[in-house]
Amino acid sequence: MRLSPTYLLFKDLVTGLLITLRTFFRKPVTVRYPHEKVQVFPSFRGRHAMVVDPETGKPRCVACLKCSVVCPSRCIKIEYEVDEKTGERRLREYILEALRCVYCGYCEEVCPVGAIVLTEWFEYSGRCREDLIFNLEKLVQNWKEHVAKWDKEFYENKYWVLKGVPLKLKPAPRRMGLVVKIKGVKVDG
Amino acid sequence: MPENRLSEPEDPFLSVLELQMGPQHPSTHGVLKLHLKLEGERIVDCEPIVGFLHRGLEKLAENFTYPQVLPLTDRLDYISAMNNNTGYCLVVERLLGIEPPPRGKYLRTMVCELARIASHLLWLATHALDIGAMTVFLYCFREREQILNFFEEICGARLTVSYPRIGGVRMDVEEATLEKVYNFLPEMERRIDEYEGLLSENRIWLERTVGVGVITAEEAIAYGLTGPSLRGSGVPYDVRKHFPYDAYPEVEFEVPVGKNGDTYDRYKCRLQEMRQSIRIIRQCIEKLPEGEVVSELTPDLDMMPGGRMLKAEAFNEVAFISFLQEAKEIFPKGELYSAVEGAKGELGFYLVSDGSGRPYRLHIRAPSFIHISAIPKLAKDHLIADLVAIIGTLDIVMGECDR
Ligand code: SF4
Ligand code: SF4
Repeated sequence: MRLSPTYLLFKDLVTGLLITLRTFFRKPVTVRYPHEKVQVFPSFRGRHAMVVDPETGKPRCVACLKCSVVCPSRCIKIEYEVDEKTGERRLREYILEALRCVYCGYCEEVCPVGAIVLTEWFEYSGRCREDLIFNLEKLVQNWKEHVAKWDKEFYENKYWVLKGVPLKLKPAPRRMGLVVKIKGVKVDG
Repeated sequence: MPENRLSEPEDPFLSVLELQMGPQHPSTHGVLKLHLKLEGERIVDCEPIVGFLHRGLEKLAENFTYPQVLPLTDRLDYISAMNNNTGYCLVVERLLGIEPPPRGKYLRTMVCELARIASHLLWLATHALDIGAMTVFLYCFREREQILNFFEEICGARLTVSYPRIGGVRMDVEEATLEKVYNFLPEMERRIDEYEGLLSENRIWLERTVGVGVITAEEAIAYGLTGPSLRGSGVPYDVRKHFPYDAYPEVEFEVPVGKNGDTYDRYKCRLQEMRQSIRIIRQCIEKLPEGEVVSELTPDLDMMPGGRMLKAEAFNEVAFISFLQEAKEIFPKGELYSAVEGAKGELGFYLVSDGSGRPYRLHIRAPSFIHISAIPKLAKDHLIADLVAIIGTLDIVMGECDR
């Protein structure tokens, strides 16, 4: 090896240096994060939010408890009450511990009405534990913040549509696809 | 004692020095601790100590339903999560007798190979950095970033993807994304040429890798090495070829093997494997059949056999308890083992089912754990600086070893 022409003529080192030299003239790929921001792709699994019905202004959740059962880290707690006359369930409180969440997206995938959703909001933090334990109020607030930044007329999540999945596996109300109209929602929070 | 203090200090070159390397050492790739016995700088003995990242994953799986275990497997080898997910999905599919539709199979193969490239890139980056080649580190992360972006576009997460699902994948991939992946492949090939240009002939790289950490084919088999660490010694064993799963029987690829079983051969093997992965991804995208991506027989994510018996005021403890009390016998009983070729080696899942909706026992055959047991053999009579190269060349990840 020591007597090969590659070794004696420093061909190996020159090849390497030429490669690094070529990179020197390329555009850098670094993103200067706090000043420049990467646009995450649609349906990124970020901060949770509770979708609000644009017409009534109420959370869309129907308290079916599917999300709470499916969650692998068991971080969703739901309180609801049943209407005596109609038998309808009414949501009283929805607590989601974002600190325990593993961002698997199961909750938004099983939700039959598209109520809980993981938004494309990826930078958030809290000063204490309580800040990251979302209750219903905070989840709705999250949705309003998300909507305020969303510049399209509709919001659609890939986990609501589930392209390519047989109809049988989708929850019934979502089989035709589910789109949330955003225009007309009051976002003053 | 006063007498001892007066006596001459021992000559460090003659006596055996004990040294604890890790678990916070940057080049032990995570929280691996090595108890070294040194003579000067030569390693006489070395004992790996594992378990610092133990999260009780196998036990945890016993309390979860089959779909719920899937996000746990992301946390095994977090560098190539797609392979772990696929491995777990395969074993449950075999238990339930589900066959994914062709499109699901091809998509799974494609993402697995992307994950393999990402994992090998991270390996090359850190391995080269440990040995002293800083540039390669930065270049590899540049390409890995692109692959992670594809994952983000496909399923919305970068590392803990949970994209495969029992019976297929969770959703279809957009045409535009497939096109992007396809256009990335030639670029990736050029990049691999660049890495080879930087390293393969470089005199420092050769000095540090040729003849370091040699293991013969017989010994490698005896230690249970798999994956590129075994193929570097010349044994062409690959789960993708020998026990094919998903779309692997339908695509063409070769299994690169080394000759000498040293660090350099394993390096060569992995680089060749990246090229083969590119070949597989290209074929997958070209041949991708139309149709659905999940089998109709797949159990729902919220597997709830029977009716729901939830009370008002239900907090999810109540929901959970009512689920556990449901009748058993909803799934076939039995034990089975199934393996995939993970990026590190043969990743096996051994599943015991008692017929309920949860695994009775899930054992994971983690290649990293077995590879760590070979470190004492490989490191014997080498210098400490070479130990770093040896840990790198086995490509261990502690999330998988300690589970
Ligand atoms: S993303 Fe997963 S872990 Fe997080 S709340 Fe939803 S189901 Fe639970
Ligand atoms: S699955 Fe949807 S509708 Fe059902 S409880 Fe959860 S958020 Fe509400």
